[in-house]
Amino acid sequence: MQPALIVPEEVSSRPRKRLPWSFLIAGIAILGAVAYLVYANTQANAVYYMTVSELKSCTSLACTTQSVRVAGVVQAGTIVRNDQTQTVHFVITQGVQALPVVYSGIVPDIFRPGIEVVVEGHYSGHGAFQALTLLTKCPSKFQAAPNS
Amino acid sequence: MYFSDVGSIALILALGFAVYTVVVAVLGATRGIAPLVTSAKRSALTVTFFLLVAASALIISFLIHDFGVSYVQQESNLAMPWYFTLSAFYGGQEGSLLYWALMLSIFSAVFIFTSKRAPQALLPYVMATLMSVEVFFLIMLAIVSNPFVRLPVAPPDGRGLNPLLMDPGMLVHPPMLLMGYMSFSLPFAFAVAALITGKLNSDWLRSIRRWMLVAWSIQTTGLLLGAWWAYHVLGWGGYWGWDPVENAALLPWLTATAFLHSTMVQERRGMLKVWNLGLVIASFALSIFGTFEVRSGIISSVHSFAYSAVGPYFLTFLAIIVVFSIVLFLYRLPRLRPEQEFDSVISREGAFLFNNLLLVGVAFATFWGTIFPILSEAVRRQTMTVGPPFYNHVNGPLFVLLVLAMGVGPLLAWRRTSSRALWRNLLVPAIAAAACAIILPLAGISNVWANIAFAACSFTAGAIIYEFWRGMRVRHSHGESYFLAFNMLLARYRRRYGGYLVHLGLVLLAVGVIGSNFFQVERDAVLKPGQSLNVAGYQLTFLGNIAYTTPGMDAVNSQLQIWQDGRLLRYIYPGRQFYQNFDNQPTSQISITTFGLTDVYVFLADWQGATSATIRVFINPLTPLVWLGGLLMLAGGIICWWPERRRLRIPVKETYAEGAALANKGNGDHSVGVEVGPSGEGTLVVARVGDWSEENKNIVSKAPLSHRQDTGATEEPTA
Repeated sequence: MQPALIVPEEVSSRPRKRLPWSFLIAGIAILGAVAYLVYANTQANAVYYMTVSELKSCTSLACTTQSVRVAGVVQAGTIVRNDQTQTVHFVITQGVQALPVVYSGIVPDIFRPGIEVVVEGHYSGHGAFQALTLLTKCPSKFQAAPNS
Repeated sequence: MYFSDVGSIALILALGFAVYTVVVAVLGATRGIAPLVTSAKRSALTVTFFLLVAASALIISFLIHDFGVSYVQQESNLAMPWYFTLSAFYGGQEGSLLYWALMLSIFSAVFIFTSKRAPQALLPYVMATLMSVEVFFLIMLAIVSNPFVRLPVAPPDGRGLNPLLMDPGMLVHPPMLLMGYMSFSLPFAFAVAALITGKLNSDWLRSIRRWMLVAWSIQTTGLLLGAWWAYHVLGWGGYWGWDPVENAALLPWLTATAFLHSTMVQERRGMLKVWNLGLVIASFALSIFGTFEVRSGIISSVHSFAYSAVGPYFLTFLAIIVVFSIVLFLYRLPRLRPEQEFDSVISREGAFLFNNLLLVGVAFATFWGTIFPILSEAVRRQTMTVGPPFYNHVNGPLFVLLVLAMGVGPLLAWRRTSSRALWRNLLVPAIAAAACAIILPLAGISNVWANIAFAACSFTAGAIIYEFWRGMRVRHSHGESYFLAFNMLLARYRRRYGGYLVHLGLVLLAVGVIGSNFFQVERDAVLKPGQSLNVAGYQLTFLGNIAYTTPGMDAVNSQLQIWQDGRLLRYIYPGRQFYQNFDNQPTSQISITTFGLTDVYVFLADWQGATSATIRVFINPLTPLVWLGGLLMLAGGIICWWPERRRLRIPVKETYAEGAALANKGNGDHSVGVEVGPSGEGTLVVARVGDWSEENKNIVSKAPLSHRQDTGATEEPTA
């Protein structure tokens, strides 16, 4: 039988050394890139998410210059559709506050009076909210909320 | 006595036995009393039995339409076909929690039955941890969210399942995802057991890795099915929307993927122990977070979830897990010193570390985006959200780097790689990437980011295919056909080549994602009969609407033709369905037709009588690759996991004293044995401990025992 050969790999008495510089630099570069990407994109993409009354009472400049998300309930009898331009006008309410909304595009399946919607778009402080997206809150995947 | 009463009693009994298991297992382990551990095993199996009884009771209640059970009344009705009635079992919160608990008990039983090969010292603690998790779920089921609560008066019919869930995807997607969340409990139990006993040896590593691979495969399946369901049911033309619920399912998958890679560094070099345990614990904590987030209503999602009472309980449980794990960690930190040190960043372990940082970076960014509404509310008193652009812009570049690392990593040697070997290995993939970078812009694809991403994908695909080719060529030169050589590579080196298949699948999936992300075309139109819509070379001609009624459902379908270059390709029938009891919530029958690698996705948005339809058309290039790549990933994962044929192992000291003496010369981390090939020839093998019966890359030396030439020693195709 041929003897198998093993070369001893290292002498265990070698003193411990710290993590090599190359690892530190590479690690810091990646973590820095992740941190930068998260920070920059949070700055660029964060959108205010507010209720109708919060939007109405908002005085900061950000509310009228940035894109805003607003949640509210579609008021009965306010939906006006224009099939030619595919725009729909409606009013969302939250408590006593009401906000007219204009949206063009395809309306989700379950859009109808009385459901909660989330619109994202621009609001100039008066007139109608210009919605770029219209999301209906899906009925729960698991079960209906107790009060619905 | 109703079946639901049997279920209630079974839940209480299961709870009792689960508590007993925890107490007895810990006592048996700390006092060293073997009969107590045996008793704990039997008691854990009893928990499985009673949960099976409880689940059967709920299933029977559904099948006999016992609407006196509140949960049955909520989730089913008489008109539903039997398979949806069955799937209503996990359609609501109570049932989904019962399903979670049931699956955990079944996995615990599987663990107990297969525990002969697991490290025995850890066994009681693994059981105790699993049953502690089980106790939590059983308390929830018994007190807060009991599926067997009865109504005072049984109504004649039930409310029925949400129509969006009445889809074949519903039959498999939620149970898969819940099972995926649950399956992270097993690696977690192993991590806790190892921290308590301080035994983090190679047997432990093998067990935890295999269970994590199970969890990873199940979660991969769940994510793919979820994407498939979204694509085929929701009608917005995509398969992944970065919704908080989707993110929650992705998070443990990312940390598990990181673990499956970094564990190899621990296996080979004895490093990254703290990091690996951290990843296991993080995966479990994130899976509980996912289960919790869906039910708590703390994050406003497009899905509005039930604001139920279980939220605070889950949060408490999550806090206990995190605190308990941190305390254990601090207690065991002295034992978790690395055995070796990093040498060079251009090495396999360097690539793994790079890959881990990227995966954890993606997980962090996704987690950040998911909880950003809560963070901003707490810090700035103003709820803010981030949408899909945030995730795409952060995770997109990180994924491109990840794909590159996936191509480079396997080409690097452990410890350090000589630059000559590196360049030689990089040549083929680099040519593939360069070819892609030149051809695509010439073919008219001008988007810079898409080109960079495609080049990265072709680099990695080139590297993987070249690796397969080299392995097959070596075996072919020993007389195997290329087809057999391919199969033998997968059969003999499951982890390595199974892993390559996963990588190749991910590259295909990435190509699909890039294609649908950058090159999707969307067009809306209102059409009258005979009118056409031209989009991306396809012409859709509307013919008319057809309405029909079946029991429990009304439906409308539009008839359209798809033409291309003057040829009629197909008739399609996108439509809408209205379920009885849910007539204000129509569901869509989306028409998806695949031509080559392009999906033509047609959604009927609205219609007027028989002669007008509003349709939305998406042309989704390369999207079929998402599913193809996903299937390949899954196949690779299963190959990695599939148990190896047991090889003959001969005790070191008695039989091969000579070899043992040799092995002892090395740091004692080598073992000696005989590998028996298919035709009976033997090879004396000296291998590192822990790598036995895994791929034979770690074998330090080999010597043939018979006179016949053994090809096993020369098969290894690494450079």
